Formats: sequence, C-alpha cells, structure tokens
Amino acid sequence: MTNILLVDDEPALIAVLQPVLGAEGYSVATASGGVAALRLAEDIKPEVVLLDLGLPDIDGKEVIRALRATSQVPIIVISARHQEGEKIAALDNGADDYVNKPFEIGELMARIRAAIRRSSSLKNAPSTYRSGPLEIDFTARRVSLAGDTVKLSPKEYDLLRTLALSAGQVVTHKRLLAVGWGSDTADSQYLRVYIGLLRQKIEEDPGDPRLLLTEPGVGYRLASAA
Amino acid sequence: MTSGRPNPIARFLAAHLDRGALLRTAIVLALSALLAFAVYPLGEVASALVFVLGITIAGAWSGLASALIAAVAAFLIYNFYLTEPALTFRLATGGDLAPLIVFNLCALVSGVLAGRLKDHAQAARSSNLQLHSLLALSQELQSALRLPDVVVTVERAVHRILGARAVLLHFEDEALRSLSPLPIELGWLAFAHHVATGGTPPADAALIGRRLEPANAPHAVLVLEPLRPGKLEPAFVDAVANMVALALERAALSEQITERRAAAGAEKLKTALLASVSHDFRTPLTAISASASSLIAYGEKLDPETSARLLRGVVDECARLNRYTANLLEMSRMEAGGVSQPLQILSAAEMVVAVLHRVRPRAGERKLLLHPSDQDLLITANPSLFELVLINILDNAILYSDEDARVEVTICAEHGACRIDIADSGHGIPEHALLRVFERFHRVGKSETAGRGSGLGLAIAKGFVEALGGTIDASIPGLDGRGTRITIRLPLAEASNP
Repeated sequence: MTNILLVDDEPALIAVLQPVLGAEGYSVATASGGVAALRLAEDIKPEVVLLDLGLPDIDGKEVIRALRATSQVPIIVISARHQEGEKIAALDNGADDYVNKPFEIGELMARIRAAIRRSSSLKNAPSTYRSGPLEIDFTARRVSLAGDTVKLSPKEYDLLRTLALSAGQVVTHKRLLAVGWGSDTADSQYLRVYIGLLRQKIEEDPGDPRLLLTEPGVGYRLASAA
Repeated sequence: MTSGRPNPIARFLAAHLDRGALLRTAIVLALSALLAFAVYPLGEVASALVFVLGITIAGAWSGLASALIAAVAAFLIYNFYLTEPALTFRLATGGDLAPLIVFNLCALVSGVLAGRLKDHAQAARSSNLQLHSLLALSQELQSALRLPDVVVTVERAVHRILGARAVLLHFEDEALRSLSPLPIELGWLAFAHHVATGGTPPADAALIGRRLEPANAPHAVLVLEPLRPGKLEPAFVDAVANMVALALERAALSEQITERRAAAGAEKLKTALLASVSHDFRTPLTAISASASSLIAYGEKLDPETSARLLRGVVDECARLNRYTANLLEMSRMEAGGVSQPLQILSAAEMVVAVLHRVRPRAGERKLLLHPSDQDLLITANPSLFELVLINILDNAILYSDEDARVEVTICAEHGACRIDIADSGHGIPEHALLRVFERFHRVGKSETAGRGSGLGLAIAKGFVEALGGTIDASIPGLDGRGTRITIRLPLAEASNP
C-alpha cells in the first residue's frame, strides 16, 4: 500500500481526503503543520506528500526545502490558482507538481498517480512513452504519431523528451529553457514558439491541444502515459 | 512770533511743530540764555558758543523747525542783551551780523541731521511693525489647513493685524466667486474682476487688490479695504498677498493628501476584501468540490458512513461560506456608512442560547456553557447582526482552542449596561495583539496565509457594538488561567428594569 502524507491545517479538507484516498487504496497520514509534517515524514517515509502551502507554523517552501534535503519523495503542492509566484517558487524549491484549489478529486488522483509513476521511473528509466496516438522511443530517439514517424529537430525532441519523462506533471518554463537553450534565463518567447511547433506536429488540432497542455504562468504538462 | 509770516513758512512750521517741540525749544533756549549771561564776562565769543550749543541741542531734540526758531530767538537775545550797544537791536558793525548767519547755519545743519535721524527711526519702527504684522499673519495662517479655515483666518487676521477688511475670491469654473461666508458688495466683485483680468481698476481707490496664483489651486484675488487712516504700502500688501497665496497652496495640498489617503485606504480595503474572498472562500470550496467529486467518482467504493460524512461536510462548508459572505457584506456595509439596519428589543440570553445551539455542531468535544443573569436583560440591536457577532466570537473561541477546551458565556447587568463575557480556555492571544485583534484582516498567527478565519469577525463585532453605543474588549486570560476573554457591554434597552 502506498503511503501518502497529507499536510493541511484545514480540518474540513482532511476530513474529505483521508477517507477518499483510503478508499482508493492509499494509506494516509495527516499533519496540520510543517513541524509535525517533517517529523512524520522521517517516521513513515511517505511515497507521496500532499502539501498545502499556507501552514500556520512554517512557510510551505521551507517544508519543501527541508524534505528535499533528505529525500526525493514526490511533493504535490495544493495552492490557490492566482498564486503563480508561490507555485513557481515551490516548484523551484523542489516540489514536483501542484493542484489548484478548488480541485476535483479525479484531478488530484491523476496527479498522485503521475507522481508515483515518475518516482518509480527515476529508479529504472522507461524506454518508451505512449499516450493516445503519440509514442516515443527514448533509446531510438524516435517519435511516432499513430505509427507514422514524426520528424523533430533536436531541440524539439529534447523538449518533448523532458516533458514525457515527467508525463502528467507540470514542467516549469525555467526547466524547459534550461533543457532547450542551456540557460534558464533565456527568453520564454523561444519556448512558446517551439511548443507551437511541437503542437503542429503531434496534436490533432494544435488550436485545441490534448497532449501538450499549458499551465498558465507556470509551464507545460504532457498528458500522462496511458 | 510766526503770525503774519507768509503761508508756506507757516505751513512748514505747523507741520513740524507741536506743543511739545515748542516747549522743549523754549526750555533749551532759556537755559542757553542763562548760561550765556553767566559766561559773558569771559567774552562775547563764549556766549555765542553757548547759544550755538543750545541751537544744536534744540535741533537734535525737536527737528529743523525748532532749530530755526531757536536760532532766530537766540540771535535776538544775543543782539539785544549782549552785544554793544546793549539793550538795542541796532547793529553796530557788519560783524554783528555774523552770529545771525552762524546761528542759522548751525540750526539748519543740526535740524536737518536730526530730522533725517528721526525719519530713519520712524521708517525702522514702521518696517518693524510691518514685519511683526506679517509674522503674526503667517503664524495665524500656519494653523489653517483647509480652504474654509484659510478664508476665515485671512479675514480675521487681516482685520486685526492690518486694520483692513479682506475678502478672498477665487476662480471656480472660470467664474470669480467669493470664498467669504458673508455676502460681498457688487462693487468689490467688480473690483476683484478688474484685478483678476489685469484691467485698470475703477477710480474707487479705497480698495487694494492683488491677484494670487497658487501653484496647485485655482487662481484667486485678495481685496483689501483699509479701515484705519494711514497707507498700506504696496510692497507690504504684496508680501501679505504672497503669504495668502502660500496658505491657499498649502490648503490645496493638504486637501489632495487627504483625498489621496482616503482613496488609498479604500483601495487597500478593496484589495484586502478581494484577498479575503479568494483565500477564505477557496478553502470551503475546495472541501465541497473534493467531497462532491469523490461521491461521484468513488460513491460505490465508500462506505455509507464516509459518504454521509462527506455530505455532512458539504452542508457545513456551505454554512461557512454563507457566514463569510455575511461577514463580507456587513464589512462593506459598515464601510459604506454605519449600521443602519432596523433595530429590535432583544433578550440577550435568548440570543446567546440560539447562537450556542447553532455553533455547537462544530464545537466537537468542547464544552459550551451559558451563565445567564437573574433577570432577563434587554438590549436594542439588529438581531441578525447581533447573531453574526456572537457567532464570530464563539467561532474564534472554537477555532483557537483544543478539543478539550471550555467556552463559557456569562451575562450580567453592570452599571446600567448589559455585559456579555465570552471566555475560553483555548490558545489565547499574545498580550501585544489584544488591541490589534479588532483590526480588519488581523489574524492571530505567524504566517500571512495561515488561519482559517477571514480576519473580519472581530472587526465587525467592534463596528456593531460601537454603533450601538457599547464597548468591546479582549483580555487574557479567559478561563483556568489561559485562553481569551471577550467582553461586550451594550446599553440596556428602555423596557428592561434592572
């Protein structure tokens, strides 16, 4: 059974998430503050941490930094939609993903699954990615759409690969810029252009992307492997 | 001795002589004559010098006219008594005329010098007076920070210090209007218009006008009418006008600052309200969304007890959202101008019982107790607002306490007021924050985003209680040497007889 550590100071939310996550087969431990969360994380070695950024005792970003100092456990941040700065800071500090408040349970479950898959893929790197018609063979550097090979420039491939290795999770502008242009301070306009090119090649309707999704103000997310 | 003299000399003497000057001259002359007789044995020259000294003293003391009179009189005395032949006015030799000439020249020099000295002194005195007037005016204007104050101060101070009637006019929508609360004559308005447009004012020279051009305020006109004889010097009037223009500038500036501060305050409140909406509404919404979507997605997997709890949670969170909405609404209503809701006579105990009943479901294991007073105490208030206030306070007691805490409400009569104490054995408030808890958006806690309340509850409570003429205080400890105590005192309604 997968251990999840839920950190939130809001009893109402804990009251909902604990039984529902339990029903999904996760074992849930809860903490209502950062100090308690760090102590619990030492004890139970959770496989996923759900973390509300607004904690009464210590700042959420500090909790992330402290967790990262000792472990690579996937951290999913629960935050408000308008707090892009907070989200980006959390991701920069080592969080893996976030979910906006208010969320539907399906969205949270998808994030948890993506996080678990990603953390297991860190141990033994996957050789392929497949979602809908899109297929990527990492060893052969081959991308195909419904069986037909898609020609990608090296930069396009690097970006797609990075997104695919974190499939289902958000990848920040900063990280993509570092991958494509070697500097995370490059102009994000380049990135937008390349994402547009990628969508032209892999999306059925580039105007209404289903695979390569925009996370406004934060980054991009490639649909989880299915 | 001046009678029968030609007119110009008489006029000169009249203008420059008064009784005091004549008396002083006579005394000096008499003393000089006595001294001259006394020194006569030493020779004519000694006597003549004594007279020169006397004339000089008369001139220095009383001015040119006195000096000339003294010179003529001295010559006559000298000629009649002292020169040969004595006791006649006859001049024996041409040399006898020399004293007359010397006396008069000496009188002329000493008189002119003394006159100039006096004029300087006079000028210094008058400029000193003007300086004092300006200083006094500027001090009075300093304390006038609003336009109406400036207008009143100018009128009052100019009248008192300069002895003139003053009226300030300024341009409002291109038209010149009087700022004075009193009506002004049409003639003044016409005069002011001439001053403002730079035209030649009518011959009515009794009025003095200056155009004022403050940097950040409408241009204005200052019109003065001297009420005392004596001239107001143009340079002095300019200085006064400058000072008034500066005062107008300062008033406009302070008005702008006040406006901007009010606008900034309103903007801050709006931002805070929006932040409160986005933060405090999202939490219950998240719980509701998660519960409802879980019931849809995993309805069958969840046991009936969990399903019921999720549904219960949805209802509770809806109630919480409703309370937030009510608080926000009350807050903006209070901001818009006081509590103007219909008032009723209410029983304090009855209200508390009803509120305790409503709050109990979310109190968990906490014990909520009521200690009512012997008689039923009645107060005048709006029932829904009073309920909201009590709920806000009790919610705080629940929110900031552990499950095993107690919350006790005590009602009693105290000096013609109804006192309601809500005390808990919870976490309490740091002593330095006791006053701040009644500020809007103040939350007790370290993190800005932390806390479950909107930070509006106690601010609303304070607004409500004060609008009814009551007081509200926070103190520590509450119960068992810990926790918080909120004390409300409301005036008793007429109908109750404590």
